[in-house]
Amino acid sequence: MSLELLLIVAFGGALLTYLLGKLSHKVRDSLAVGISLVLVVFVAYFYGKPMEKTFYSGFFGLGLVLRSNMFSWFFAIAISSLGALCTIFSLSYMKTRERTDFYYSMMLLVNAAMLGIVLAGDLVSFYIFWEVMSWSTFLLISYNRGPALAAGMKYIIMSIIGSLAMLIGMLSLYATYGTLNISEISAVITSASSGYILFILIIFGIAFGIKNAVMPLHTWLPDSYAEAPSPFTAILSGMLTRMGVYGFVLIMYVIVGAASTLNSGPGILKFNYILAWLGAVTIVIPTFIAMLQNDAKKLLAWHGIGQGGYMILGIAFGTSLGVAGGIFHTLNHAIYIVLLFMSVGAVQYRTNGERDLNSLGGLIKKMPIAFIGGLLGISGLIGVPLTNGFVSKWLIYKTLIVEGYPFLAFAALIGTWGTILSVYKFLHNMFLGQLPEKYKDIQKSPLSMQLPMIVLSLAILLFGILPGIPLKVINEIGTSFGFESLNVTLWGIASETGTLNTINIFSALLVAGTIVLLLFRLGAKSVPVSQEDSYAAGAHIPKDKYHYTAEFYNPLYRMIKPFLRDVIDEFYYGIAVSVQRLCDRVRHIYVGDVGYYVMYIILFLALLIFVQLKWRSW
Amino acid sequence: MVTKVMQIILSPVLALIVGVFFLGLARKIMARIHWRYGPPLIQPVIDMIRLFYQKSVSHGRMFDLGIILSLAGSIVVVLFLPFGRMCPLSGSGGLLVILYIMLLAPLGIALSGGQGANPNISIGISRKLILSLGYEVPLLLVLLAVMTRYKTISIMEVVSAQQSTSWSLISFPLFLSGLSYFLILPAILGIRPFDVSSAPQEISSGPMVEYGGKYLALATIEHAFVLFISIALFVNLFLGGAANPVIFFVKMLVVFVLGLCINAVFPRFRIEQAVKYLWNWPTLLAFLGLIMTLVIRS
Repeated sequence: MSLELLLIVAFGGALLTYLLGKLSHKVRDSLAVGISLVLVVFVAYFYGKPMEKTFYSGFFGLGLVLRSNMFSWFFAIAISSLGALCTIFSLSYMKTRERTDFYYSMMLLVNAAMLGIVLAGDLVSFYIFWEVMSWSTFLLISYNRGPALAAGMKYIIMSIIGSLAMLIGMLSLYATYGTLNISEISAVITSASSGYILFILIIFGIAFGIKNAVMPLHTWLPDSYAEAPSPFTAILSGMLTRMGVYGFVLIMYVIVGAASTLNSGPGILKFNYILAWLGAVTIVIPTFIAMLQNDAKKLLAWHGIGQGGYMILGIAFGTSLGVAGGIFHTLNHAIYIVLLFMSVGAVQYRTNGERDLNSLGGLIKKMPIAFIGGLLGISGLIGVPLTNGFVSKWLIYKTLIVEGYPFLAFAALIGTWGTILSVYKFLHNMFLGQLPEKYKDIQKSPLSMQLPMIVLSLAILLFGILPGIPLKVINEIGTSFGFESLNVTLWGIASETGTLNTINIFSALLVAGTIVLLLFRLGAKSVPVSQEDSYAAGAHIPKDKYHYTAEFYNPLYRMIKPFLRDVIDEFYYGIAVSVQRLCDRVRHIYVGDVGYYVMYIILFLALLIFVQLKWRSW
Repeated sequence: MVTKVMQIILSPVLALIVGVFFLGLARKIMARIHWRYGPPLIQPVIDMIRLFYQKSVSHGRMFDLGIILSLAGSIVVVLFLPFGRMCPLSGSGGLLVILYIMLLAPLGIALSGGQGANPNISIGISRKLILSLGYEVPLLLVLLAVMTRYKTISIMEVVSAQQSTSWSLISFPLFLSGLSYFLILPAILGIRPFDVSSAPQEISSGPMVEYGGKYLALATIEHAFVLFISIALFVNLFLGGAANPVIFFVKMLVVFVLGLCINAVFPRFRIEQAVKYLWNWPTLLAFLGLIMTLVIRS
């Protein structure tokens, strides 16, 4: 059993799915699900088996290396499990769509490429897998055509800029050290000057910052998330965007190393300090923009950006607690955001693609599983205690407070409170309130949608109540970077400056809940009433749309809207438009008439002669 | 072990008694300020018992579970708050956990109300959430100042640090934060002039409009707990906690009556006015407090 085999199965599966799709859709579906499940088993098998192997050495004398350690295993297992769940979810979501062969094979290709990225042991193969991922993502974002094409274009342009930055960084590393093997570079880079290290961090930071949508490099994300098919949006937001976090950790703590990263640059101009502030900005502004959204997927997309800020904030501080928090939050975010996009997807599936929050409502009784998924998802997103998001956020806050950066902690905390507003609106406008007449006969979600949602809901609770399970692995990652080991127990983290104990909270809430429930049962019985039977001060209650959803936070909108224009997006758009105009002008040179071309040549020769006569430059 | 169990049982009961007493007291004091006689002190208890026997309507599973979650959340918070020397679950995450479990109460009410499908509820919840965003800005700055000052996230350590030196309220940078907390306290409690989310005359008590019978009783108990929690937090963070429950109670009483007397005479804010007020002076004070704390620390 080796790592090549894993990737061969992953990539081969993608191709095979496409070919089999031409024969039979049923076989293709089961193959896609089968491959993605096999990958989970494969990756799980590699737990605790560190290995490094050169699988191809003919690439201009550079060995292409695959390696597996705790760090890559952690990301690989998350990628493969979420990939499998999203593939299962796709089964009914994509049933009535066109070009499904293409969709499934691209889905598997993206997964394979992500596995390749985290298993790559040198930067060349890292780059190759990175590009495969970027391009197949582009194809999937544009899958729906129409506005999706523009969104995909925006994504791929920014992605190419990031890749070019990475390429420059790689060339520079190769020119300096003559190798692109990650472990070899990390051994020799410790002697580099701090200026060079800063350069490497920034140039790779641009690449990973674009992927992770760190402000001000975030503008591709909202459109892409909103336009991609929902099961793929789930992968896109859950793992694919977070390859940026993987990249940041890789460059900061694996390649450059913690000691050099934390000493790059003078005083407050250190790389990680600036990164932390960018993370804080990335938390606050998108969270408030999310409040203004009326499109369910766009709302979540802006939260995707905002939550990325927490991860950045966690890993920017090179402390064991912070890095653990950042990496843990990556996993947690993946779980709840995938669940939320699935919940939206399930609603879209039953309501003909409706994702406008103002026209939905009351679906709780019709789609209970989707509601529970949504509820646990938003709880994780907020970080309600006993859901997974709480633990990782707690680690990040504690790092910031103990390290003495209360303003960064304030940004992180206020981001959470902004989150509550928008996600409540999300849940309320879709599932609570009055059910519109046209959705009276709606069916509940099919089993292939319910199953992944149930699994993820349980995962949220499991990692929230027993955070020690993933934290033990994360702790090992931290120690492999040279951080001191954390005192992790099954239900939290013990330390001198404040202990976390989730089992206490859990049992307290359980007992308190039971007592209140008993009290509730003891009281006089309540009568179930229909949704039309509610208090209206004696007035007639209209059949449709009695509850209030549109402009939910209107008083607040009026106050904050002027401050929340996406100036950066407008700026980039301005650049794009002027480049386009310039190119348009240049195009007019080519008139298609030979006479003009002859004239250009003569004018150019005249210019050369003039230059030679005047300055004698040749 | 036995004392621990006793404390776990005792502290919510005490908190409930104090909270309900405050509810009754509030009505009495308000009445006197308005030149009325007012109901007897135990009126809230009488109401609650009566409500438990009355008929009510239910709009669905979430409508029931929300209110239960809300009250259970409040009870759990009490277990994390030192009441005198009594703090049953001190070592479980400190102030950050308290801050987060305090979320469960409004969230539960919001979820429960959401299923009520009544515009008054939606408006009330929307206002409540906006208001809470309003007061969280200064509140978080205040709490961060305290945590930065004492270099801990544990509320027990904040209390014991104050007992060995002096109250935060009269120590240099933190009195700014303390003042800020006192200014936003009525907003946290949702009493006048910040009763925008219930606003009986405008939106028929907002989130409560569909509640009757036992729902209303549980909501009242929940309100009593919230009263207790917000004031107890102030006493713990700024008035040095207390060595025994009696002194702690006296401190709470002083804070509550002072706050009530000042605020009873104000008419209700509109929600924008409330947020503007909260983001103005209290935030400025809290901000200054945090800056000063940082300067002193470094």
